[in-house]
Amino acid sequence: MTIGALSVIWLLPLIGALIVAFLPPHLGKYMAVLVAVAALAVAVYVAVLFAPDYHRFQFTETFAWIPQLHVFYRLGVDGISIWLVVLNAFLTTIAMLATPLSTRNVSRFLALMLAMSAGMAGVLMATDLVLFYVFWEAMLIPAYFLLWLFGEGERPGRAALKFVLYTLAGSLLMLVGVIGEYVFQNVLPGQQTFDLAQLPSVAPSPGIQFGLFAVFALAFAIKTPLFPFHSWVPDAYAAAPTPMLVTFAGMMGKTGAYGFLRIAIPLFPDPTGLWDWRWVIPVLAVGGILWGALMAIAQRDMKMLVAYSSISHMGFIVLGIFALNVQGQQGAVLQMVNHGVIVPALFLIVAWIQDRTGSRDRSSVFGLAPRMPILAGVFTVVALAALGLPGLNSFVGEFMTLLGAWERAPALAIAGAIGLVLTPVYMLRLFQGAMYAEKPYASEVDDIHAGQLTLLAPLVVLMFALGLAPGVLTALMTSVAQQGLAR
Amino acid sequence: MIFAAATPDLTYSWNQALSDLGQVSAIAALTGFMLFAIIAELALPKPRRSGVVAMVAVTGFAYSLGTAAYRWINGLGGPAYHGYATGDSFALFFEILFAVLGILTVAVSHPYLERRGLREGEFHILVMAAVIGMMVLGSATSLVTVFLGLELFSIALYIACGFIRTDSRSQEAAAKYLLVGGFASAFVLYGMALVYGASGTTVIPQIATRLGPAAAGNPLLVLGIVLMGVGFAFKVSAAPFHMWTPDVYQGAPVPVTAFMSVGTKAAAFAMIVRVFASGLPHLGPEWQALLAFVAATSMIVGNLLAIAQTSLKRLLAYSGIAQAGYILIGVIAGGKDGLAAVLFYLFVYLFMNFGAFAVVTLLAGPDADHDRISDLDGLHRRNPLMAILMTVFMLSLAGFPPFVGFFGKLFLFTAGVNAGYTWLVVLAVVMSVVSVYYYVRVLVPVWSPTARTDELHAPVSTTAAIAISGVASVFLGLYPTWALIAGQVGVGPIAGP
Repeated sequence: MTIGALSVIWLLPLIGALIVAFLPPHLGKYMAVLVAVAALAVAVYVAVLFAPDYHRFQFTETFAWIPQLHVFYRLGVDGISIWLVVLNAFLTTIAMLATPLSTRNVSRFLALMLAMSAGMAGVLMATDLVLFYVFWEAMLIPAYFLLWLFGEGERPGRAALKFVLYTLAGSLLMLVGVIGEYVFQNVLPGQQTFDLAQLPSVAPSPGIQFGLFAVFALAFAIKTPLFPFHSWVPDAYAAAPTPMLVTFAGMMGKTGAYGFLRIAIPLFPDPTGLWDWRWVIPVLAVGGILWGALMAIAQRDMKMLVAYSSISHMGFIVLGIFALNVQGQQGAVLQMVNHGVIVPALFLIVAWIQDRTGSRDRSSVFGLAPRMPILAGVFTVVALAALGLPGLNSFVGEFMTLLGAWERAPALAIAGAIGLVLTPVYMLRLFQGAMYAEKPYASEVDDIHAGQLTLLAPLVVLMFALGLAPGVLTALMTSVAQQGLAR
Repeated sequence: MIFAAATPDLTYSWNQALSDLGQVSAIAALTGFMLFAIIAELALPKPRRSGVVAMVAVTGFAYSLGTAAYRWINGLGGPAYHGYATGDSFALFFEILFAVLGILTVAVSHPYLERRGLREGEFHILVMAAVIGMMVLGSATSLVTVFLGLELFSIALYIACGFIRTDSRSQEAAAKYLLVGGFASAFVLYGMALVYGASGTTVIPQIATRLGPAAAGNPLLVLGIVLMGVGFAFKVSAAPFHMWTPDVYQGAPVPVTAFMSVGTKAAAFAMIVRVFASGLPHLGPEWQALLAFVAATSMIVGNLLAIAQTSLKRLLAYSGIAQAGYILIGVIAGGKDGLAAVLFYLFVYLFMNFGAFAVVTLLAGPDADHDRISDLDGLHRRNPLMAILMTVFMLSLAGFPPFVGFFGKLFLFTAGVNAGYTWLVVLAVVMSVVSVYYYVRVLVPVWSPTARTDELHAPVSTTAAIAISGVASVFLGLYPTWALIAGQVGVGPIAGP
């Protein structure tokens, strides 16, 4: 067995994590950044060599792992996952750079971050159901320790445990689903497979699909998070330290949405029993869009506001996925990337404001623009991108998801569009409230320094780039999405 | 008793005797080493005694392990003693498992006994006797031999539990274990008598052939199965026959608890598989229903009661009850996949559970075992290696991939769903979520910020035993195929190739 590029993408951060954990702070950070950049370089290399016209898995690696159960170590990327793999490596690099050296036990923190990144990369690249599950569960372990040992607030251990038990309740039931898919798939005995490329063609009977879809969807819904399974999110996001949020909010939730797209929809084309699950999920997604937006409007804590806005935006992604047409699903993947670029920027900005003013409370933070002109400028772009201004990245994605949803059922699109109207309400109130007021902020505060600006710069550049030329991404996805619907 | 022939033909040639002895050579060799250890204990002057006996014990286990491994590799298994015992791959699998367990136990208990100022020689001899009993159980193919092995290891453990003569809790544990264990043995013996009455033989493969599908309606036979099942459930510490487990685990010295928690369970499962799956295949519905009930209650009771524990020994006792429930799913599912999953799980359970208990032995002071969860306070600063390994054991027991506990569960649950016991698997999965809560609770003091910085000294032999367990828990998870193949070969004599 030769180790291919995809194995390197997840093994590199994992091995790096084992080394970084035992290094002193300075060296640890250099090493961590180096590892993250190296993984990003490999991911970009794969993306550049990616053949857009070939719509099966590329860069595949296969290795018999547990042949008795037909479990293989299978990796591969297609037009959907390649972007998320690059995004994950990219956000990991940002997170490594954003970690201040003053963090307690910083080497251990960076090591756990790298391990979590390795797990998420594995989830995105696994094309074997058991391997997917292994990565899916394994990424929980570093996430738990990160939240617990490095969390903010009074009882981070509680938030960490809530997060783990919540997600485990879903994912352990998914284990039953994995086993069920193995046992009930429509093949001759002895020819079972866990290959995600083959499983769509051997789907079990609709009654079984109904049950299996439910357990898989529950796991993905909790992780995404989909309304009403989101109640771990406020606690976990509140407890998570900012550098962790870059990947935790930016990427972890996407693995849930990715699960819907990669597993729940293609593997169970007809999940109908007592009802059709493919109608239930988009309704919940619309519920999430509206609930998240309303809750965001009601928040005084800026971090919580961003957390709830994230729930709302994830609703758009799931809605797009369950539009079950090309526009919707392309929009959803585009939106996953967009959201992964915007949310880390928002969390970083909020954290920097808190560093300087000592508060995240919207009522006590105001009029910062005259004191921090550079931050104000960047914040303008990020806020406008988040509310979906044409020309910036979110607009295209949201438009495509709603277009797709309209084709499926106009009612869904109309309800989703109300969420689109609510977004500017909280986003502009956040931005305006913090930046502008009748008189400037009372005390002198420093603007963001050059290092922090360079951290945000690539994110802002991406917001413009994806907004002006989304075709680069969607072109690769067209063939995949069409094939995804055909099967 | 072993030599009593079942057939009237009493000729027993010298060659036959040698060949029979060859089939049980791992057991015979270990018995020889045990006798040697007893003599050494008596003959040597006091200061040198303990070290020599420990060396003899380790050598004996290693020799036994080598013998079994040699016979395994060369496929030398076959029946012996007129069908009363066997050296087949199933027996060899358990001989290897128990020999490894013996080595780990001696490695952990040597420094522990020194620290607590306990007499060492007798302890190792008792462990050897118990291992011999367990091995006999693994290679038993007659109800008589099964009972012989059962009593041999039980009696050795009754004594080992009460090994701390000055500690009333240790004495209480021994007395409790003796009484309850005696009860369990009586149940098993009653059941065996009824099965013998129905089939007219004690040789297990013959029971299977004599009791056809028609035997299912025989009430005495069903009663026999129920009685044996109850006795077996006692031994694997499955609910609702688990009450003795937490008390005995808590009172006994930690190395004994560590040894029992793995050894008794594995031996009892060997017995269950051999008697039920191999001897009573036609009465499957009867004993499967019984065991399904026992499995379900074990998973519920074990996991729910573990939540409230403050003692690590008791917590691991309840976790062991729950784990017995998971393993029973594989027995109930049966067939090659189910039983191979059982063997796989028992083998990996050896490492993850023994490792966890071995870490607890490090906490013991000269006066008592310190086994409260809070005694782990600050382990990541007091001994970082042990903190990492304890984390591996807990996560593995909780069933997190990529550690081996996950794959054990995956195989068991797959077999369960395949056999149509989806409800049992769903229950197991739901209870696994509960289990994560208490396993993770153990890790809280391990990794929490703390004021304690005094180094926790870990003796070399204990460190080695724990490190081996940790490495096995990780690597058997990363590449579980070989261990699963071993499990499949192991159940070959029972489930067919």
